Amino acid sequence: MEQLQNKNSENILSLANNLRWGLGVNLHDAVIESIYEDASRIARSTVQLKGEKADYNLERKIDRLVTSRWLGFPIMFLLLALVFWLTVAGANVPSGLLASLLVDTIHPALKSAAAAAGLPWWLSGVLIDGAYLSMAWVISVMLPPMAIFFPLFTLLEDLGYLPRVAFNMDNLYRKAGAHGKQALTMSMGFGCNAAGVIASRVIDSPRERLIAIITNNFSLCNGRWPTQILIATIFIGGAVPAHLAGLVSAGAVVGIAVLGIGFSLAVSWGLSRTVLKGEASAFSLELPPYRPPRIWQTLYTSLIDRTIFVLWRAIVFAIPAGVVIWLVANVEVGGENLAAHFIDWAGPVAILFGLNGVIVLAYIIAIPANEIVIPTVLMLTVITAGLTGVGSGAGVMFELDSVTATENILRAGGWTLLTGINLMLFSLLHNPCSTTIYTIYKETKSVKWTLVSTFLPIVLGLVVCFFVTQLWLLLS
Amino acid sequence: MLIAVNPEIALLIGGAALLGLALTFWPKNGLLALLARGRLNTQRVLLEDALKFLFDCEYKSIPCRLNSIAGNLHISADSTARLLDRLRAMGLIQLQEDTFRLTDAGRSYALRIVRVHRIWERYLADETGVGQMDWHGEADFKEHLLSPEAADQLAAQMGNPAFDPHGDPIPSSKGEMPVYTGKPLSALKEGDIARIVHIEDEPAAIYAQIAALGLYPGMQVYIMDVTDERIQFAANGEECVLTPLFATNITVESLPAPEPIQKKADLLSALKAGESALVKGISPTCRGQQRRRLMDLGIVPGTAITTEFRSASGDPVAYRVLGTTIAIRRSQADQIFIDRQEAKP
Repeated sequence: MEQLQNKNSENILSLANNLRWGLGVNLHDAVIESIYEDASRIARSTVQLKGEKADYNLERKIDRLVTSRWLGFPIMFLLLALVFWLTVAGANVPSGLLASLLVDTIHPALKSAAAAAGLPWWLSGVLIDGAYLSMAWVISVMLPPMAIFFPLFTLLEDLGYLPRVAFNMDNLYRKAGAHGKQALTMSMGFGCNAAGVIASRVIDSPRERLIAIITNNFSLCNGRWPTQILIATIFIGGAVPAHLAGLVSAGAVVGIAVLGIGFSLAVSWGLSRTVLKGEASAFSLELPPYRPPRIWQTLYTSLIDRTIFVLWRAIVFAIPAGVVIWLVANVEVGGENLAAHFIDWAGPVAILFGLNGVIVLAYIIAIPANEIVIPTVLMLTVITAGLTGVGSGAGVMFELDSVTATENILRAGGWTLLTGINLMLFSLLHNPCSTTIYTIYKETKSVKWTLVSTFLPIVLGLVVCFFVTQLWLLLS
Repeated sequence: MLIAVNPEIALLIGGAALLGLALTFWPKNGLLALLARGRLNTQRVLLEDALKFLFDCEYKSIPCRLNSIAGNLHISADSTARLLDRLRAMGLIQLQEDTFRLTDAGRSYALRIVRVHRIWERYLADETGVGQMDWHGEADFKEHLLSPEAADQLAAQMGNPAFDPHGDPIPSSKGEMPVYTGKPLSALKEGDIARIVHIEDEPAAIYAQIAALGLYPGMQVYIMDVTDERIQFAANGEECVLTPLFATNITVESLPAPEPIQKKADLLSALKAGESALVKGISPTCRGQQRRRLMDLGIVPGTAITTEFRSASGDPVAYRVLGTTIAIRRSQADQIFIDRQEAKP
């Protein structure tokens, strides 16, 4: 009986299968299409729209203006430039205040408290000079720009303007095999790459989303802007007549940022045509109606969801890095500290790329945050070049208020104009910070794409630095 | 600390290293890609390809000779003879007069390969961004790697499709295939749509004439006019004329229910700013995720659509659909058919 039933059901299944061949190629689509068709017919006959006409006309007028052939791009550049200017100008003062509080006041206070409590020097070194100081540094450099940039950006988003930017920019990004919304995630990356990677969620096509995530690192994030400005002022500004110095060094920094955009487009183009060729791709972009921004909600979401979230991740990674930085400068093997061993070993290779051992070590141990690269470089230079009278001792990161004093340290460390240029290039083209790497892994859930996003920029950076250096040496 | 390396030598070494990297990682022709392909067992691949070809001949009732097998596999007649000997020793084929026939075991082996091939083509077409021109080549490679079980799983994920993207039936997991419905081109009537599945290469004079028209298997034809003396048809937009005698040398397969949208219909990309129309459908060339996305947005037959404004760079264009504004790229708008007449003012 059971056997008979089995045989029967098998026959029925095989008959059904055979009948499907007779139904033609488009059966699936036809069924889906008719469901959609029925649904929209029912909606048309039952749903009535009213009262949206007036708003709608105004909206169309704004849309025509912000997407117009001649005014579309100028409006976009002006608005984005305003956001960046407000961020840079507005962040200076609170950053200084935070630094003087966390680094200049609390840090010495903690040290003397530790000394009074009789803590061994190495423990207070690891905890206060290492862990605390790197956390303090990350907070004071990172928090103010993000607390200004993210609310402004979210405001534009909430207003409905950002989708129009994606709409205007899509032509360019389409040619690079990417999605117009990548213009937005890229802009977000100028604030913070980890936030830019998270923002890539708005791209709903798998291939374009991966492209946006992998190339986000080419946006110069706000942890790297200060480095670029400092090095450009010292080395590039120093190489031209004084009255041109400001203009030329500012131009060099903008040039690096534009180079980053160029790399992001070129790498998008390359990825979409090679390794990502097979990933599924679908374009869709909704242009939502304009809305008056909800200020409080904007502040809340951008401060809590973006700023605090990213800052927390950065702190979590910065603390162990601070410990490592202190240890490499203080643990001695065979009469020399670990840092010196590494710098001696890596130096000859780094020279080929126009860098030096200190820079390579700084980029390795300062993976958690680009903000602490320059303090680490200064600290390492001082202890390896044997300078006295500057800095606060082995393993204690520091920065100097005076550009000239910084320049003296770097020049004593053997830096030249070529080193400066290569540092600027390498600062643009190196692995994302560990916060971003972790975020990429969280967003893609793929070790493969995380590794690609990490090592692709390093390889590019080394190649670019190598050829710049060797051509420079050949021609000079 | 400074070591002196001559920049010219360094540049040469650097350039060579870059070249080496490129040669290793270059997609398709790079060392890594070649290694991956080299891992395939070439003997088994040849064997499976031969079985597939024999099955194809049998399915289309074409006699299968040694020379045609050699030509299809791009190997010499000698190697083909050795290959066929092996297949016979394995009990997969038998020789009848001068043509080779599959045994039952051989047929079920061939069907497994065909099934994997077509499922993979379908997968590439619907679930990935691989271009139309690469489907066949990639499936030719993958069919030797994917186990039948993995193919079954993949098919189940896609809702057990019955056809591959070229319209060929996918054999069931039990090895069933629909009866072959190929017929001579001369048997078609006016208005029929069919696809060329085979062009007979004997006699050579007729074959040369057909080949001169640029016809090839897989091409879609639309019959425009049939008289006693001639058959007039359009193949990929080109108009062709053949005598009925010549036409018997072309085997075609009727395509199910010709859809009117495949003929002349206005494209959404031609709709100017401020104009409205009704959506008639999405071209079959728009597949997978992109198709679903467009339907999600309301691009289904019967929806009213209005062109609103162009982006500052000209592409994409914003359209008003179901009370929302969406941007559609030109390449997609080219795949959406519309009807201007029925639109309400």
